[in-house]
Amino acid sequence: MTVASQVKKTLATLKGNQGTLRLYAAQTRNEETKSVYNEALETTGTIINDLERRVQTLENQEPQYKGN
Amino acid sequence: MQAWIQILISSVSLFFLLLILIRLMGKRNIVRMTPFRFVSYIVISIIAALMSLNLIANLTLGFIALGVWVLFPIGLDYLSLKSKWIHDIVNGKETVLIKHGKIMEENLLQTRLTGEELLRELRSKNAFNLADVEFAVMEDTGDINVFIKSHKKPVSPYDLGMKVAPIAEPQTVILDGNILNEPLFSLGFNTEWLGIQLETMGVSLDNVFIGQVDSSGDLYVDLFDDSVQLPQPKIKEMLYANFEKSQADLMSFALETQNQAAKQMYSEHAEKLEQLMEKLKPYLLR
Repeated sequence: MTVASQVKKTLATLKGNQGTLRLYAAQTRNEETKSVYNEALETTGTIINDLERRVQTLENQEPQYKGN
Repeated sequence: MQAWIQILISSVSLFFLLLILIRLMGKRNIVRMTPFRFVSYIVISIIAALMSLNLIANLTLGFIALGVWVLFPIGLDYLSLKSKWIHDIVNGKETVLIKHGKIMEENLLQTRLTGEELLRELRSKNAFNLADVEFAVMEDTGDINVFIKSHKKPVSPYDLGMKVAPIAEPQTVILDGNILNEPLFSLGFNTEWLGIQLETMGVSLDNVFIGQVDSSGDLYVDLFDDSVQLPQPKIKEMLYANFEKSQADLMSFALETQNQAAKQMYSEHAEKLEQLMEKLKPYLLR
């Protein structure tokens, strides 16, 4: 497995987490819990953004593995 | 008119009259009643029984007596709401039986409670050891309530300095295979949502005996068919585990990469995720 594909895998897990978090943030009835979930969503969002940028640079460095 | 018809008519009408009157007197628990209240209920029922059997020749007299015994308790209730003084006279005051861990013998005498009875009441409140009791009081209903010494109390999350997520009461949304619309809508869900949830679980609606939605929106169902094994909702635990995995991944990336900027980015985010997990832990795991 190349480095890029490993990072991509983590990225996918984080994106899945983000989806579940968003679901819970939407369906929970308690305001405090909702705000904690929303905060978590924000943090995961920034991490996902940075990881995506990193994947792009990795793919530029090793174009032969692009898409893996 | 034949006697039996007369008794039938008076019994049926008194039945419904008494039902209304007793409802008017409030919904206080019959076990937690002051002795006088109990007496007035008995008097009302005896008057009603006598009237129903036509043992009271003059019905007007019967109604007068019934009216007095129904209206006076209601009137006294309202007066004791307004005035503490009347409340104390009507209902009596609570009596302290144990104070600072010491039994007040003269108060015990006043309530005519023997030592054995006191111990029995304490045991029924799970205080088997007298040394564990800091304070005990006999309420005006005769109930005894106990305050346990603080070091013998069951531990609460607060005592442990632990943060727990606020959990509201679950709502029952399916009963006997029928969807209860009102609680479902009050949660902000609709029948389509419930249908999707059931579909992902792989159960049909008419197989569900009870379905409850907890405060975080997870559905728990009990089926008529007990041979079907349903997995408990573990989505939150999975979510937490996934965060843990991602955090470990980020740490290993930080170790593996040669690029300094990337190394810093990875370790920064790993730390951020760790803080996030600490914050989410009470909500996802407890």
